Amino acid sequence: MKKLVTSIVGQNLHRIDSQEKVTGRGIYTGDIKLPGMLYGKVLRSPLPHARIRRIAAQEAASMSGVLAVLTRENLPMVFPSYGSYVKDQPIVALEKVRYSGDVVAAVAATEEQIAEEALKRIEVDYEELPAVYTVEESLATGAPLVHEKPHEHREPSYGRGATHLIHEETTNICLHFRYQRGDVDKSLREADYIFEETFLLPGAAHCPLEPHVSVCSFDGDNFTIWSSTQTPFPLRQELARISGVSLNRIRVIVPYVGGGFGSKSGIRTEALALALSKLVRRPVQVSFSAEETFKTICQPQAKVRIKSGVMQDGTFVSRQCELFVNVGAYANSGPMVAEKAGYRAHGPYRISNVLTDAYCVYTNTVPGGAFRGFGAPQVAFAYESHLDTIAHGLKVDPLKLRMKNLLGKGQDYAAGDTPMDCDLKAGLRQVAKAIEWGKRDSGLKGGKVKRGKGLACAVKDGGGTGKLAHSMVKILGDGSALLYFGSVEMGQGIRTALLQVVAKELTLPPERIHVAELDTQNTPFDKGTNASSAMSVMGQAVLRAARDARGQLISTAASALGVGEAAVQVKDGMVVVQERILSFHEVMRLCFSDTESEIVGKGFFKIPRSEEVPLGYISLFWEIGIGAAEVEVDEMTGEVRLLRYVSLTDAGKMINPLQCRGQDEGAVLFGIGQGLFEELVYEEGQLVNPTIVDYRLPSFRDLPQSFITRILVEAGGPGPYGAKGLGEGGTLAVAPAICNAVFDAIGVRMRKIPLKGERVWRAIIRALPTQDSDHS
Amino acid sequence: MSREGLTHDSMIAVHFRLNGQECHEIVTPNELLIDFIRNRLGLAGTKRSCDIEVCGVCTVLLNGKAVSSCSMFAFEVNGKELLTIEGLAKRDKLHPIQSSFIEFGGFQCGFCTPGMILLAKALLDENPNPTREEIQEYMDANICRCTGYQMIVESILDAVGKM
Repeated sequence: MKKLVTSIVGQNLHRIDSQEKVTGRGIYTGDIKLPGMLYGKVLRSPLPHARIRRIAAQEAASMSGVLAVLTRENLPMVFPSYGSYVKDQPIVALEKVRYSGDVVAAVAATEEQIAEEALKRIEVDYEELPAVYTVEESLATGAPLVHEKPHEHREPSYGRGATHLIHEETTNICLHFRYQRGDVDKSLREADYIFEETFLLPGAAHCPLEPHVSVCSFDGDNFTIWSSTQTPFPLRQELARISGVSLNRIRVIVPYVGGGFGSKSGIRTEALALALSKLVRRPVQVSFSAEETFKTICQPQAKVRIKSGVMQDGTFVSRQCELFVNVGAYANSGPMVAEKAGYRAHGPYRISNVLTDAYCVYTNTVPGGAFRGFGAPQVAFAYESHLDTIAHGLKVDPLKLRMKNLLGKGQDYAAGDTPMDCDLKAGLRQVAKAIEWGKRDSGLKGGKVKRGKGLACAVKDGGGTGKLAHSMVKILGDGSALLYFGSVEMGQGIRTALLQVVAKELTLPPERIHVAELDTQNTPFDKGTNASSAMSVMGQAVLRAARDARGQLISTAASALGVGEAAVQVKDGMVVVQERILSFHEVMRLCFSDTESEIVGKGFFKIPRSEEVPLGYISLFWEIGIGAAEVEVDEMTGEVRLLRYVSLTDAGKMINPLQCRGQDEGAVLFGIGQGLFEELVYEEGQLVNPTIVDYRLPSFRDLPQSFITRILVEAGGPGPYGAKGLGEGGTLAVAPAICNAVFDAIGVRMRKIPLKGERVWRAIIRALPTQDSDHS
Repeated sequence: MSREGLTHDSMIAVHFRLNGQECHEIVTPNELLIDFIRNRLGLAGTKRSCDIEVCGVCTVLLNGKAVSSCSMFAFEVNGKELLTIEGLAKRDKLHPIQSSFIEFGGFQCGFCTPGMILLAKALLDENPNPTREEIQEYMDANICRCTGYQMIVESILDAVGKM
């Protein structure tokens, strides 16, 4: 048995999926082929809002090779609609379609080409309805309603300071969340200065390189679903509900997932696959093209109005925010995004008086939902840009203004919630030093190309709301171990990191531990892989399961050898009892003699509920995103180039440093996309750039000349050995740091991103002749 | 692959080298290379993503040159050498690029990885000692959504030293 010289935790252990992924042997959902498997394709509405008068599918259904056509006429479900928060999304359209791309029907055929041909033979008679595309249109008096009747939805249960307001008339408001403390009106009246701005962020596409896909097999009683999903257990729950079967008759298996970023939380292809397989009694694969993935789910467009009361000496005394999340045609997790954005909107600053209203609003556009950052990038863009406006107005260095108002470690973000668990000021000082904050480059190229630097400091409450997780660790007869957990491997490296935790706890070399496939029939329950929660929430469950297994091994050895448990130690992969050193295998044999047996260790972790905390559950930890950017702006063209970027976040404890760095760098690129390139563009409700030809993703050439990631290990996290979650913080500071750098360079405040050349150029033109750019 | 209307005459015979071995197959005229690889040859390592020749996820090497298999016809392999990701490692021995990607975090979800590694091989076969800028410019043909690119560049720089 190899002796572990250095701690496995903190090592860059090679990812356990390495061999599979670099050789192409790794199985993803689209690689799964079952005997008799059919292919499902979807008919989508060309119109943004229309009543369906008639659907005729007979011609399609009679085509050779077509085994079923699914429409509202033959939907074999107990409940036709699903949703994470509101059950508002029909599996196939019922009385109307609500966005261009909405699912109308589906075909299962022996070949994809046949299924696609059959779609063309389905006749749909639409009666076009007036539509709304923007929040303004949607909230106008007399606006057409995207959803006429209220749907079944979860009742939020907030704590102190947060409320959920119901609007009297039926409107397109899906949720109105409010958070308040102190007296904003009074403090605004008493402030020396008031600053107010509105910021706009577009919708964005997750673009996981693996589009949505699932395979469903039905044996007459039980469903087995293979899915590229982030949330296998909530998926099981929703599929059970809509099909009317018990939870134990739905089995969700998750192979490798080719990127999620929030796009794969909840039902996407699975309800269609389930319905089709029920109709035909054969396995059905439903895979969306990349273009369909664009039209399935997105990051919702947002508008954030922020107003601050500031004293002469730069102290922030009040902040009022009003933000609108354009959730599109169906709610998904949009209401939770609005809630979280609302709670995060005032930023990591000491402000006694806060009032935030966050609205989740329906329109006839692509449905929005969870997206890396979950509402935090939107409000961080607003409050960190806004801070620089205040700094400029007070003629104060933006770094100094942040230092003056930032929460210190241990100070309250909101009374009752977890205090700030890391030193934001120290982090900000680090990035400022790394970008050489005091130094400024003079202009180049005859003065029309200017350089500037900008900072940003943002946080999000990490770990999810009310998350809970179970885990299981088995020690088998030969002393090897199996680890079971429901966190999905979608690139973040969670399977490797959690294996490292078990390796440490059992003192086993990593090769002696195997992570079981994620299969809801065998894997214990988990709430979902999101909110940067796996390392902390599942990490705790796994830690406890490993310790439980170790404890049972100790008591097994103790009873077999007739000694007290205190005399038994687990060390270097062996069991040590006084002078005797036994392998795990020998202990198991001693106890169970010739019969093979196993030890089953279990762990459970749940975030506690608290009535004192605005969202009703304590924030497990604070995920931070601090950044500094240096840009170059060409005033002739409006082109913004990111020259240098420094990112800082806090891992608490890095279980696998290489993976932590990879997650932070990936998160920063999402921020670069948000700040400079990515934008869903609509014309009359039609998404005109649903492919990566016209939707610009960051690429290799967009890497700044200098790109540095710093990861703090302040050990303040709730996960194993002080670990926190990671993976979203890196996104938060990028767009505001870039925009602050642009302001530093050319004195123009950009309040709408991405900073496409033409947008910046127009803002430059509007700002001429010299006028106070606060008014633009 | 719809077989409606196909006759014996419309099928095309292709003779080529697949991952170093002689291969003889029959393809339909409009069969895409990616479908030929994944379905007929049963090699699932080549993945489908954008399907419109932009992302490079479906990259394979044809006569050593990186091509998007989603936008080529199967018959185009005739008389050529096709290298898919399955052909890179020799039994248990990984290609240096593959082991560098493991060591330096050149992948996360792994979906772009087969195409990315093959593109890197094409680069290093053409230019065995590229600068960081040359790597960025060449690899710009492929998209990654997970890594943030920098660690892919470092993986390739490491592979340079080993090849």
